[in-house]
Amino acid sequence: MNRAIAPQTRINSGESAPRKTRARLVWNGLSTFQRIILAGFMVTVFLAAFGPMLAPFPTTLADPMQRLSPPGAKHLFGTDENGIDVLSRLLAAPRTDVTIALVATALSVAVGAALGVFAGYFEGGTRRWLHWASEIGLRFLDILQAFPVFILAMVLVAIRGTGPMNVLFAVAFVNFPVFLRLVRSEVLSLRERPFAEAALAIGNSDLGVCFRHLLPNAWPVVIVQVSVTVGFAILLTAGLSFVGAGVSPPTPELGSMIASGAKFMILGQWWVVMFPGLMLGLIVFTFAMMGEILGRFLEPGHSSTAQSRARSPVTARNRPKAMEPKAGSPNEVLSVSGLVVKPAFGGGRPVLDRVDLHVEQGEILGIVGPPGAGKSVLVRSIMVLLGDKLHHAEGRIAFRGEDLTGLDERALRRILGRDLVPLLANAKEQLNPLVRIGELMVAHIRAHSPCSRRVARQRAADMLGSIGITDAERRLRAYPHELSGGMAQRVCIAISLIHRPALIVADEPTAGLDVTVQRQVLDLMIGLCEETGAAQILATRDLGIVAQYCRRVAVLHEGRIVETGLVEKVLVAPSHPATRALVEAARLQSVPTTLAEATP
Amino acid sequence: MATLIYIARRLLLLIPQLLVISVVTFVLVRMLPGDPARLELGPLAPQAGVDLLRARLRLDRPLPEQYIAYVERIWRGDFGRSWVNSSQVSQDLLVRLPATLELITAGMLIVFLVMVPIALASANPSGGLLARAMRRASFGYGLLAGALPDFWLGLVLIFIFFSLLGWAPGPEGRVGILDIAPDRVTGFYTVDALIAGDWPTFKAALAHLVLPAITLAFVYGGPIFKMVQSSMEAAMRAGYTTYATGLGLPRRTVLLWATRNAAPPAIVMTGVVAGFLLGGAVLIETVFNLNGLGQYAVQSITTADYAPVQAFVLVAAVFTMLVYLIVDLIYFMIDPRVAARAKRGR
Repeated sequence: MNRAIAPQTRINSGESAPRKTRARLVWNGLSTFQRIILAGFMVTVFLAAFGPMLAPFPTTLADPMQRLSPPGAKHLFGTDENGIDVLSRLLAAPRTDVTIALVATALSVAVGAALGVFAGYFEGGTRRWLHWASEIGLRFLDILQAFPVFILAMVLVAIRGTGPMNVLFAVAFVNFPVFLRLVRSEVLSLRERPFAEAALAIGNSDLGVCFRHLLPNAWPVVIVQVSVTVGFAILLTAGLSFVGAGVSPPTPELGSMIASGAKFMILGQWWVVMFPGLMLGLIVFTFAMMGEILGRFLEPGHSSTAQSRARSPVTARNRPKAMEPKAGSPNEVLSVSGLVVKPAFGGGRPVLDRVDLHVEQGEILGIVGPPGAGKSVLVRSIMVLLGDKLHHAEGRIAFRGEDLTGLDERALRRILGRDLVPLLANAKEQLNPLVRIGELMVAHIRAHSPCSRRVARQRAADMLGSIGITDAERRLRAYPHELSGGMAQRVCIAISLIHRPALIVADEPTAGLDVTVQRQVLDLMIGLCEETGAAQILATRDLGIVAQYCRRVAVLHEGRIVETGLVEKVLVAPSHPATRALVEAARLQSVPTTLAEATP
Repeated sequence: MATLIYIARRLLLLIPQLLVISVVTFVLVRMLPGDPARLELGPLAPQAGVDLLRARLRLDRPLPEQYIAYVERIWRGDFGRSWVNSSQVSQDLLVRLPATLELITAGMLIVFLVMVPIALASANPSGGLLARAMRRASFGYGLLAGALPDFWLGLVLIFIFFSLLGWAPGPEGRVGILDIAPDRVTGFYTVDALIAGDWPTFKAALAHLVLPAITLAFVYGGPIFKMVQSSMEAAMRAGYTTYATGLGLPRRTVLLWATRNAAPPAIVMTGVVAGFLLGGAVLIETVFNLNGLGQYAVQSITTADYAPVQAFVLVAAVFTMLVYLIVDLIYFMIDPRVAARAKRGR
């Protein structure tokens, strides 16, 4: 029992200085709720260890004079059918259940993890017979898990006779497959990692690699599962005892306590059943929650401060009121002013800081910047699609004079997808894998111009045809996974142009495509924009694209626009160090040819 | 075509699975201490009868031959006799199995009509007051669901709704003591009563089903609930949802499409839970005295009546396998990517 709680006690007592600070860090990172759980867990462990000694009355001695007396001053929780104090039995009982569950789980882990390491290590390996052994073992496990757990445990107990030891073995037996599978799948992915191959290469034996290098890395997942399994094992033990196939009276045990009180419950004498059940629930609950807390703590890269911050969500409701539309230039499609975007939780540095932008009719504005500068966030915030992790703190996004941030969802929906459309990176990820292309296009067409399904479908097919996609009908029937990346992006372009929008906001529209396809897609898109007179914002990290296709460019650096102007000016004579770094980096990648083309 | 090949392959896999299940059951019963013939006939049977059964089960022959005799017997639908009730086990199964299936069906109906909508609503990030209240409730439920023992919860519900309030009938079985079970067509009392047009019996059967079904839904719906919630949350955060919103699609369409993506994992989880429940609802059946399959097995184990136990273990394992098969087929049908993988030969 002490072994099982070792990690937590060590953290709390803290033998060495670094441990102590870490313990403090973890403690501070816990929410009040988690602290309560921790306390509850301590109480459970304490009860399991010392409970029987706390009992104010004898726990196995019947007193016929006191049968079923309700809760009162003498017997706080009343007495059961034998006249034994319920509170005393309640204090003594957890030891039985918790001990059986902990030892049984330890046994399942020992057997399951050992076999799981072998199964994962040898599966698909070069040694045929070991591979087949693990394969057959796993298929056999499939079948074993098809048998009903509870009945299997009962039969096992029946084979060996009732009694705590046999319950323990039965519980351990039905639970070990869980750990076997878990460790196997962990090892399967771990053995591909360089450290495992390195360990083998420097002359470790298979056994050494398995148990010294692979297994320790699988522990965090196992520990989380342990807490769940312990809870399940406690319920299983109690359930077995409830039907009389587990620990039998007079040993204090929660399940048999409930069984003995069951018939009185119906008559209204509730106390015999109520308290042991609550106790069971509490124990299982604290174990499960401990697992969750431990799991979070063991997770690599865990940051306790981030955890504590995440507890105080700042609602995204305190948006500033929409300002009066101010008259810009009549040709202006979009004007962003003073845009600030912050993380939704816990403040911190703004992701976008006082960004100003404007786009005129038919113009293509490039937005460049190194990865992480905030390009995607800018694109998303223009369409008010920030999600729940970021929030729009201040600033105005005026689309044709109308502030988008002040619009309600319905009004926004009328603009989005019709006048202002997104074109995002990795088209295949933007398309719902379970929605056929045709279904998406028809829904999109009908969302903005009411017509029959058939007409919409015809329009979709025509649109695909007009951007050079042959056999449009087949494409409409396809699911996204049946399209190539380039084809998916072409479909997205078709979608964005179908309503002849005023502005397309594109975020790395050619990322993930190979170079020749990139060119085709961009040429197609820019050509169509010119035809329909759509303006475009083109966010990319590729200066070559900007140099070739854009008129003006804005350079985004750490959430701020540091420079903006005509492409030939900004890229040839950059004034800001960030721009210079970008141009320098692009030169090194031999893009200058395109740069030279763009600057006569 | 691909669909047919997939189904055929999946059905073929069932054959070795069933074979192994029969081997395991066979071994399990042979592991019980004592003579199988004596175990089946019980301690009171005359030695002559035991000897007769020994000969029929070929217990004097080598193990493989015993196994073949065992399979032959099951193939004929002969699961032996219960010595305690002195009834044919196969007849008992026909009565008990529908009771359990009715309970599972009712519980799952509650899960899908009440709990899944709540899970979906609580996963909607940009909801109003209602969604936030749902989130609170579902958080609390998520904490409780896995921790409370089902048999205890059943007893508490009986105490509250029968003993205290008198709203529900007590744990007297599938219908009241004075009611007569409807003529057996499907074995589901509620359905049979409706078929017979017997309104009072239908009401009685339904009333006796409500509390156990709620208990089952509350305790075993937990994993389904959490799975629906987490996969819906993932779908709502996914790129395709952002894109669909950005295209200005109606909110209903966006939610519906996200739900489509959340469905497959939830269906797998439902299969796992349903497969577990045939034997897992034992304690609920016992508490409410529903005379289901699990309760039958428990009673048989306690009275050392092994023919029913053997039959139950076999039926439960086969049922679980069939449920998994159905889940695989449904998954195959709703996710086109699985079909694509199958076509490429995995």
